[in-house]
Amino acid sequence: MYWHNFPAKQTFLAKPVKTKIMKIKKTSAALTFSAFLLFTVPLLAQNTPALTDPEIASVAVTANQVDINYANIALKKSKNASILEFAQTMAKDHQGVIDQAVALVKRLNVTPKDNAVSKKLNADAEKTKQKLNSKSGKDFDKAYIGNEVAYHKAVVSTVETVLIPQSQNAELKGLLQQVLPVLKTHLGHAMMVESNLSK
Amino acid sequence: MNIKRSIAGLMFLGIMLTACNASTEKTIPIKHVVEIKQMLFQPAELQVHTGDTIEWINHDFVDHDITEEKNHEWSSGRLTNGQSWKYVIKKTTSYFCSIHVVMKGKIIITGE
Repeated sequence: MYWHNFPAKQTFLAKPVKTKIMKIKKTSAALTFSAFLLFTVPLLAQNTPALTDPEIASVAVTANQVDINYANIALKKSKNASILEFAQTMAKDHQGVIDQAVALVKRLNVTPKDNAVSKKLNADAEKTKQKLNSKSGKDFDKAYIGNEVAYHKAVVSTVETVLIPQSQNAELKGLLQQVLPVLKTHLGHAMMVESNLSK
Repeated sequence: MNIKRSIAGLMFLGIMLTACNASTEKTIPIKHVVEIKQMLFQPAELQVHTGDTIEWINHDFVDHDITEEKNHEWSSGRLTNGQSWKYVIKKTTSYFCSIHVVMKGKIIITGE
């Protein structure tokens, strides 16, 4: 459901042994590359978690703060104009989303509640930040933007399939629906920067 | 003969005046509105006459700008939520948001 969309096991069962080994090798290489590039693991477990509105608010704020933190690393480490512009946009837009979410929960008198999803987001983000901080120059730029593509794909998927459907409060649902096109635009922007970097 | 000539003259004059009026109506500049919402310029493509004014209004909660795409000849600067910006279009132009570079729009000049 989330961002590691590698071939399903059934594909291997129907193939001859040689092809199967090749496939496994390719998949293994892809997984290694993916882990190297993305540094991330799925936001959520295979089973869709059931979240209350205070928990959804917490996930929303955490997910945005995580991307601001990545952007701040990029703003310190990168010298690439496209990366810097992208990171500035991420920092500003995601802060805008947090401001909207905080204003909403205050108005609704709701306290965001820490939960398994927001904890996992933070734990994964720490690992990613360590890996990003260990890189420099073009390696950093590629790693940062690769992670941004993967992260935004994951967050778009989570907002679409978990947070919006499970939101009970109409205003919270409305805010998430407003945020979704912003996230999709960020994803398109990240993919464009990534494509231009590899030219 | 004189009456016929006078009628023909009046008819000619009437045609000329009508043509002039029609021409004048076409050149009166008007204002068009492009709304920025859900991270899109709406409409993304707009047909206008030379000298028409375009007003962009930002309805999103994130900032946007309107920037000429090819050479960045003009730009609105940042528009926050609720802010608008006007520009008189003189030629067919592609533009984009330089903050969210995948957001694009086009103004097409269809006549004087």
